[in-house]
Amino acid sequence: MKSEILYPGAFPMVRVYLNDGETVKAESGAMVAASPTIDIESKMEGGFLGALSRKMLSGEKFFFQTLRAGRGAGEVLLAPTVPGEIVVMDLDGVNEYMVQKDGFLAGAEGVKIESKMQSFTRGLLGGEGFFILKISGTGQLILNSFGAVHKIELDPDEEYIVDNSHLVAWTATTTYNIEKASSGWIASLTSGEGLVCRFRGPGVVYIQSRNPGSFGAWIRQFIPVSE
Amino acid sequence: MTLTPNALCFGDGLPAAGAPCVVTLSAEGVSMRSPDGAGGADETVAFSALSVAAGGLDHDQLVLSWGSGLSARTLYLKDPALIVAFRRTAPLELTAHLERAAEQVRRARHGHRLWWGGAVGLVVAFGLLLWLGSDVIVEWAVARIPIEWEQKLGETVYRDFLSKETVLKTGPAVGAVEEMTQRLTAKIPDNPYHFKVSVVQSPVVNAFALPGGYVVVFTGLLKKAESGEEVAGVLSHELNHVLQRHGMERMVKMLGLAAVVSIVAGDQQGLIGLARQLGLELATLKFGRAQETEADVTGIKLLSDARIAPDGMIRFFERLSDSDKGRVELFSSHPMSAARAERLKAELAALPQRSPEPFGFEWAAVQESLAGTEPKQ
Repeated sequence: MKSEILYPGAFPMVRVYLNDGETVKAESGAMVAASPTIDIESKMEGGFLGALSRKMLSGEKFFFQTLRAGRGAGEVLLAPTVPGEIVVMDLDGVNEYMVQKDGFLAGAEGVKIESKMQSFTRGLLGGEGFFILKISGTGQLILNSFGAVHKIELDPDEEYIVDNSHLVAWTATTTYNIEKASSGWIASLTSGEGLVCRFRGPGVVYIQSRNPGSFGAWIRQFIPVSE
Repeated sequence: MTLTPNALCFGDGLPAAGAPCVVTLSAEGVSMRSPDGAGGADETVAFSALSVAAGGLDHDQLVLSWGSGLSARTLYLKDPALIVAFRRTAPLELTAHLERAAEQVRRARHGHRLWWGGAVGLVVAFGLLLWLGSDVIVEWAVARIPIEWEQKLGETVYRDFLSKETVLKTGPAVGAVEEMTQRLTAKIPDNPYHFKVSVVQSPVVNAFALPGGYVVVFTGLLKKAESGEEVAGVLSHELNHVLQRHGMERMVKMLGLAAVVSIVAGDQQGLIGLARQLGLELATLKFGRAQETEADVTGIKLLSDARIAPDGMIRFFERLSDSDKGRVELFSSHPMSAARAERLKAELAALPQRSPEPFGFEWAAVQESLAGTEPKQ
């Protein structure tokens, strides 16, 4: 499986090349177009219980699409729902990424997706819920962000502070704690930041340049409310 | 030859996400090489040069560090078999490091369990309290609901209900019910509700009240009652369910934690959404015996204050207890009608004697006006 990002920027697509017999799993509804050699299957990744736990716990889709080059090599065009960038990374069997629930777009057959329970305080305060996706295995992993995606590289013991609403994915070698943005609660709340994540390296953290929650709140003011 | 990587190596000149490497253990120390054989000769680090700690998001990785400055390296071992092998191979001088790392993992897991255990325990305890009918929590939650919320909530369900029914807009029956309502509500001190009573065409011998002051009287009740005073007794009972906020209490009890959270969080729309889910069940909520008795007692007092003959209410219960229960649906889940009538007689005896004032309508004419209406099932 090879991939190429088309139209980089706010409205990109990813072109995935599949050899004969290869598959790619994608978020349900992500396919835009495909070669006639591609068969579309719906699959409960990780079996029924795995899919159910992913749906119930992390809010991810119950089914993934499995796109199989069953009748010869071909290509698939995939796009995320929200405007934003696409990032492609290679998993080599030892890397593990924690991904916020809307960040997964597609992955090679060897990519493993599980729901992972966070610690209580992270789940309660982190803004990602109590369950996130843990992605491991081998092959290409394709993530999407809301807005532009930015990679933060951390050396061992290097720290960085991230507003939790801007998180996309982070490696399992990083650690993070939730803390107030300012020293006092009032200053934290009035600064508009509230709670932030203090990440500590080594590892990488992918963040998105837009905050979905804030965007939703902004757009809601223009939507008429039915009484 | 390509080997399967089993660790990630960090340091100057290596990728920020870590360079996959193959780690092997020997008596000399830790050896590592790149999986594809590239990257030069194997590097072996003596155990004595290592510092060991627990690391990673869940403290489930063993972190080996050595060197300083640009030559500093950090290895993250995730594979449990490799971690066990390291513990077995490592010399005694690293025992203290390993014990410290194990303690870090234990502490992290203990903290994790403690928080989750506490949270689950709290939710279970709270759920049990609600499940077992902790009236204190329900009353506390209901007291926090503003009247405006309650009215909006009741109105939502009321509109949903009336949209599917035939509502009588005019006529002697509507006039009679309006007169009863007006006389009763005028005597409610500090009444926070704007009561709205509708007459709905139905053979059901019943009336019900929704939170916020929305009351429905079925024509079946008007046809069955022998006098206006009997209907006024039922109406007074229903108005007092509203005044005592019995419907809200039952709703919070039924919806449990979700309702309490919506109330505490000030989420009016959320509460209305929950009430909508209950839908018509809200209209037919089974009140508890204590609530029924309270509505009876306050109801008969209100009748007395409004100078409506309170014995109409008592007479109605007496007739109910005599009649065919299969046909009379009103109060079917309520305390025994005969016992209620006896209780009301005792209550009435304790009230100041007031001479009743008759209604301005003729009850026979009201019932006659309903004779032509087709019952709707």
